[in-house]
Amino acid sequence: MARRRLGPEGRFLLMALPGAIFVVVFLLLPILSIIVFSFWRTESYTLIPDWNLDNYATLFGTTTYMTFLLRSFTTAVVVSLASLVYAWPVAYFIAKHGDRYRLLLVLALAAPFFTGIILRVTGIQGVMGPVGVINLGLMNYGLQPIDFIMYTQTAVGIGVTYLFIPFMVTAVYLSLLNFDFELLEVAKINGAKPWRAFIEITWPLNWMGTVIGLVLVFIPSMAESITPRFLGGPNAASFGQVLGLQFGETGTWALGSAMGVLLFAVSSLVILLMWRTVNLQRSGFTGGGH
Amino acid sequence: MSKESPKSRSSKARNTGVSRRSLLKASAAGAAAAATTLAAPHIRNAEAATMNIRMLIWQDYNIADTVNEFEAKYDVRVSPAFFDGNSEAFNKMKAGGTADFDLVMADGFWPRLYYRDGLIQPMNEELLPNLANLFPDFAPPAYNLLLDKPGGVRIGANNCWGSYGITMNLEHIAPEDRESLNIMFDEKYAGHLATGARFEENIAMAGILAATQLGTVDGPRPDGDESFNPYHLTDEELERAKELLIKQKGLLVTRYQDYDSLQKLMRPGLVWASPEFSEIYRRLTRAYEAGEIDFQVAHMLQPKEGGLGWIDSWQLSSGTTDSEAVELCHHWVNHYISNESMTRVAKIGVAPCYDVREFLPPEEVSLLLMDRTVELRGLHMFDQPSSPEKWERVWSEVEAA
Repeated sequence: MARRRLGPEGRFLLMALPGAIFVVVFLLLPILSIIVFSFWRTESYTLIPDWNLDNYATLFGTTTYMTFLLRSFTTAVVVSLASLVYAWPVAYFIAKHGDRYRLLLVLALAAPFFTGIILRVTGIQGVMGPVGVINLGLMNYGLQPIDFIMYTQTAVGIGVTYLFIPFMVTAVYLSLLNFDFELLEVAKINGAKPWRAFIEITWPLNWMGTVIGLVLVFIPSMAESITPRFLGGPNAASFGQVLGLQFGETGTWALGSAMGVLLFAVSSLVILLMWRTVNLQRSGFTGGGH
Repeated sequence: MSKESPKSRSSKARNTGVSRRSLLKASAAGAAAAATTLAAPHIRNAEAATMNIRMLIWQDYNIADTVNEFEAKYDVRVSPAFFDGNSEAFNKMKAGGTADFDLVMADGFWPRLYYRDGLIQPMNEELLPNLANLFPDFAPPAYNLLLDKPGGVRIGANNCWGSYGITMNLEHIAPEDRESLNIMFDEKYAGHLATGARFEENIAMAGILAATQLGTVDGPRPDGDESFNPYHLTDEELERAKELLIKQKGLLVTRYQDYDSLQKLMRPGLVWASPEFSEIYRRLTRAYEAGEIDFQVAHMLQPKEGGLGWIDSWQLSSGTTDSEAVELCHHWVNHYISNESMTRVAKIGVAPCYDVREFLPPEEVSLLLMDRTVELRGLHMFDQPSSPEKWERVWSEVEAA
């Protein structure tokens, strides 16, 4: 019996279908629904399809929600930069000197992910808390305990950095794996100092990996809600935390949806701006098929 | 559906190129399907024999021994799911939860709200004989919130009770401050106070103090209330409560998320006072008696301005309509409120609404406040905010300030 075989277009569609279904079901539909809900209103825990702009007026008409947004944005920027500064030397070391232990070292960085986020955040409490390891150690030597590392915005920053640093290290490491370190030797032979070789060669040729790392850290940091709940004090409520409240305790889903739309818009804008800084040719990008 | 002769089927098979092997495979699959179909009624009966009680409850009440006993006795399965706050559970039930849960737990006024919205159904007292062991302070007419209205139908079965009182370190809190809510807003104790993260109770507690300061407690009430209810505040009271909460932020170490976090702050003496459900009071009292800490604690059950309290209870979901399932749910509730089960609940540190004092050592009876049930009568019961939207704005403004 002659069997009909799928043509190239059929095979393409078949392979693209699972991804397309995933994007539609888990990204587009939820986003579409929160966009719709954001123009409705809630009354005593009931979502009412009464089209209006009140939720956006509430968000932009007062400083309240903008304060949360600015707080989270600042935290995300600081966390991204701190992760960048920390991740580069670590990733560079593993990529250049890790040899056959590279995979093991990268896996070791991911070790915290073997547990849940709440356990990790609680672990930080045990280290940085008022009677945590750090302060007990200080008090043991007759020193004053440090109080700004728990239940403050600083504590949130430290906690979020700890949570997302592995993303940055992995992104930079994967980029460095494809980097030809011989180029640095060439630069050295031609008289370039190590620092200049880094600025002119290593950094730009790995900028794409760095941007991916920045995005992978920035986006979840911006939406983070667990860490501020456990490590932040009364002055550290984040945008993600307040957003979560709308869908839980307060039941104000319409306002929560508007907050979700705003968060999505800000995150998309940041990704767009970051992407515009990437020069594919300068980054050593070889994809595209041409 | 048209019928085909064996001949025509055979001829069709040949024409479409179906091999003998594949025909045999198809026949075997068909036979298996037919056998499954024939056996299906029996399979369904076997599934129906193991009924499943699905309940939405506070996690503390998921006690393995109690569940195992019931499952063995009735040959059913008990499947719990958990929530962290009354509004969260209410939201779940409104968002289709009546189809997902047979039983739900709620505090204070919440059962009436569930009933008003058609989320629960009346319960049959005749199937709940263990209600007879209720403390009189928790039964009608002293406590009517588990009837749809005074003298009305029963809409829930009591479980446990408590207050959202203030536990304080007696070494640091001055005697003259130990009976007032002011303690939580007093600059004298700055840097040594903590509150819970629950927004409703934070606003309600500040609302009691706000109404006291404004002198409006005995004035005309909004929403047709006959007496003061801290969950139904006037705009003026709500505004004052917001001011108090903003001021309080500067005095707080944190808003704790769980008992363990609060214990870690109170035990070493870093936090001196905090509202809580008396769990930390019990833990620290036991620690003091064991010589593990050198300060005593007290629990202010009812501040002089008024306090918050709760009775949690079992409700039957309106989505459970099968008579056998309804009866089984009643059996579960009756089993749960039995003396044996309630003694277990007491041993995990929650005060039952049922008189199980004879099964507990005297010190536990005292720690569980089981000799102070009469004080519940003066407490304001947990309720739904008059306007969740308005309260959300207030809380967000406090958090952003």
